[in-house]
Parts: sequence; C-alpha cells; structure tokens
Amino acid sequence: MRRVAASLASFGAFLLAWKVVTVVGGLPVYILPAPEVVAERALRAIGSGVLWEHTAVTLLEIVLGFTVGAILAVLTGIALGKSLLVERVLSPYIVAAQAVPILALAPLLDIWFGGGLLARVAICALIVFFPIAIATMVGIRAADPLLDEMLRSLGAGPAQRTRLLEVPSALPVIFGGLRVGVTLAVIGAVVAEWAGAGSGLGILINIANQGLFDTPLMFVALAALAIIGLAFHGLVVVAERRLVSQ
Amino acid sequence: MTSNTSGSGLDVGIDAVGVRFASPAGPMETLDAFSLEVPAGSFTVVIGPNGCGKSTLLRLVAGLLDPTVGAVRIGGTAPRAGDGRVGIAFQQPRLVPWRSVLDNVALPLELTGAAADERARRATEALERVGLGGVAHLRPRELSGGMAQRAGLARALVTEPPVLLLDEPFSALDALTRETFDAELQRLWLDRPRTVILVTHSVSEAVALADRVVVMTPRPGRVARVVAVDLPRPRPADLTGNARAAEIAAEVRSALASGRAIELRPWLQAEVLA
Repeated sequence: MRRVAASLASFGAFLLAWKVVTVVGGLPVYILPAPEVVAERALRAIGSGVLWEHTAVTLLEIVLGFTVGAILAVLTGIALGKSLLVERVLSPYIVAAQAVPILALAPLLDIWFGGGLLARVAICALIVFFPIAIATMVGIRAADPLLDEMLRSLGAGPAQRTRLLEVPSALPVIFGGLRVGVTLAVIGAVVAEWAGAGSGLGILINIANQGLFDTPLMFVALAALAIIGLAFHGLVVVAERRLVSQ
Repeated sequence: MTSNTSGSGLDVGIDAVGVRFASPAGPMETLDAFSLEVPAGSFTVVIGPNGCGKSTLLRLVAGLLDPTVGAVRIGGTAPRAGDGRVGIAFQQPRLVPWRSVLDNVALPLELTGAAADERARRATEALERVGLGGVAHLRPRELSGGMAQRAGLARALVTEPPVLLLDEPFSALDALTRETFDAELQRLWLDRPRTVILVTHSVSEAVALADRVVVMTPRPGRVARVVAVDLPRPRPADLTGNARAAEIAAEVRSALASGRAIELRPWLQAEVLA
C-alpha cells in the first residue's frame, strides 16, 4: 500500500515538474508540450485506433525478438561458460557484433532478412543477445565447485550438471541479463522499424515528428514505448520472483 | 569381539599409488608409494596432519581422481565416479540450496533414474535413519550445521553403497555434538555393516570408531603405521578412563609424531649444513 502511494506521489511530482518547466520556460508546444496536451492527444490517438495499430506491431516485434534473442543468448552463454575453447573462438565475434552500432547494422540486416517482420525480429534479437549471453556465461562459471564435485561423485555428466547445478545457480545472474535485455528489446524494435518498416511506434514517431510536426503525438508514442518497457521489465521481475527461490 | 569381520561391503585395495599435481610452485606430490588393503566390511580410519593427502585418498577411491602411478581397486576393479559402489559424505555438507532436504537426499537416486515414488520412499527412510525424519521439506539453509551434516550422510547412505567414504564429516561440529555423531555412526554401521573409510584429525574419534587406524606421514603421504583397535563394540561415545583405549591413542600419537620426525629430518640437516 505504501509502495503504491510512493509510486503515485513520484509520478505526480514528475508531471508537476514537467508542467512547471513548460510554464516557466514558456516553451511552445512543438518544443515541449505540457502533460495535459499530451494526455489529450493520447486520448484522440487511442480513439482513432492509430495508437493501437502501431503499438500492436511493435509489441509483436519485441515479444518475438526478445524471445528468440534470449533463448539463443542463454544457450550460447551456457556453451561459453562451460568451455574456454568455445569462449576463445566465439567471444571476439560476439563482442565485435555488440561494438558495431546497431543503428549502422540495422539497414544491412533489413536487406539480409528480406525487410519484413523477420528482419525486425532479427535486429531486436541481436541487441538483446549480448547482455543475456554474458550474464549467463558469468553465472554458469560462478557455480559452486564443491557442489560440482559432489555431483561428479554421483556420476552426473556435463549435461546433468548443467541442468541440476549450473543453470539453477546462474538464474539470479541470468535474470539480471534478462532485465537489461528486455529494455534493449524496445530500443531494438524502434531501430529496426527505422531501418525500413511501414508501421510501429518508431514509425509513428517519425510520422509525428517529421511529417505532421505533431510533437504531442510524438510524446504519446514515446510514452507508449516507456510503458511497454516498464511492463515487460515488470513481467521479467515477476518471473524472477517465481523461479528464483529465496 | 567385533561383529564387523562378517559384514557385507567390498574390499578396497590401494597399490603403490602416487599422485602428482602441477602447481604454480612446480610439481607437487600429495601421495607417494601409498599402499593399503581395506577388508570388506571393516571400519578404517585414516589420520594424518593437514595436507598429507587424506582427502586425495578418498577422491581416488571415489573415482574422482586417477592415480599418477599405481592402482586403486574396489572389489577387484577400478572405481568410476557414479558406478554406485561408493557413497561419500564431505567435510562441508554440500547440499544444493534450492532443493528441499528430501530432494537433496534423493539426488543420487534421481541420477540413476529411479521413479519418483521410490526416490521419496528411500530418501525418507535414509533421513529417518540419521534422525532427520521431521525436516524433509525444509531448505538446507533452515538446518543447523549438525543437521546439514546428517543430511549429507543420509545422501551418502541412500543408495546403500557397499563402500562409505567420510571426509572429516563432523570436523566443523562442537566436541559434544561430535561424540553423539560418532556414536550414531557406529550404530549405523553395526546395523548395516559396509566398508567404511573415515578421514579425521582427531585421535579420540579414530580410536572410538576404527577397527584399524591408518596413520599417514606429512606430504607426500605414506603409511606411517597401521594400528589395530581391539576394543569391543558397541563402544561408548566417551572412552576416557578406558586404559586400553588410552594405550591405543598413545600409539597413534607416537606414530603421528614419528611421521613428522621423518619429514623434518632432511629439512633440519639442510638447515644445519647451511
């Protein structure tokens, strides 16, 4: 109850500060619209169905991109964590792929993957991959060597030790990676849309910003992205509480 | 007399075993020309100073480590980790923290593919035998140190292995608790005899439990002396005042001391010559 109250109070303070800045600064709507202007624009965008049309596209990209990226990243992270050889061979490519700006890679990937939903899922998966793979690798390596020896004394093979010890003990760290990854998935979806999509919240931002000069609508799209990020982050936290004992 | 010679279990043979490790300080020898015959169903206690290779010895018998030279046999064939002939309880209980006590104890059965109801039944029975009947559903962190050690022992016993290895399992417990545990361990073994090799630092524990005490030299570990303990069983937990026990303890202590002297001599000579 107190936590809900604190959240509401902080959100109220945020809105108030926003309003004060627009009034005191005398900022025009095309620079920084006041909160009530954005809220009114949001209601109209919801009413006309425009907002949902673009949000649905982006949501699908995030869910698919995050799921694909996270599964591949956990599997790769396990391989990296268990074998120094695999790490030596693979990690330069993984680090290089992460170091190259996703903004530069996105148009290329868009061409390679045929420009459709598949391309956007691939871009989203790529940006999600790195933090989850690294977290999984670190977590797998941190498994207690005494428990590992205990399992070996019982005849547990590498796959059984991964299932019974390494993955469960790495779960808190893996969830750290998933939390970072899920917020990056939102960025990945927008970047992927900018690389060549016809709809989505990233496209809505472009239309509002450059086509219609409708700054309040751009803020509506930004707010929708923020809410999506918070919601998916929240889902990951809920899953973490369920799966990580203690 | 002792009821242990007719017991079940498998004999364990260690033939001229040497173990060498590569370490940052160069090759390190933990065991050298170590030979020991452990008869089936006997209770053997291995005692020696820190770092003499006692734990290495148990890891060899458990099949976790292959000797650099020599051979280890259980019932005539080389041990392999997980072959089901050995149960091991470690110095730390090594319980998996996210599993219940019952699921920890059932782990060896799970790895051999036993059905869930059989795992639960046998793990419950093993827990009851070590006096942990009421805590099956708890997590390891909810147990006291002594209870956690009992759970570790139950896990080692749950498959009824012919050979039981105990690596200082009670060394972290206070002296009184330890005496209780030693008495219970003796009772468990008298109930269902099997070959037991227990490693310890404690002379009184060795005398209270062993058929034979194997005294090791400091690193690289060799057998300094084997002392037979001919006290009748069941023995009381506290042997103070028992004249024969005191004699045997003195013999073990002198073997430990002479082992140290052998090790010190070359070092002293080098010091004197320098």
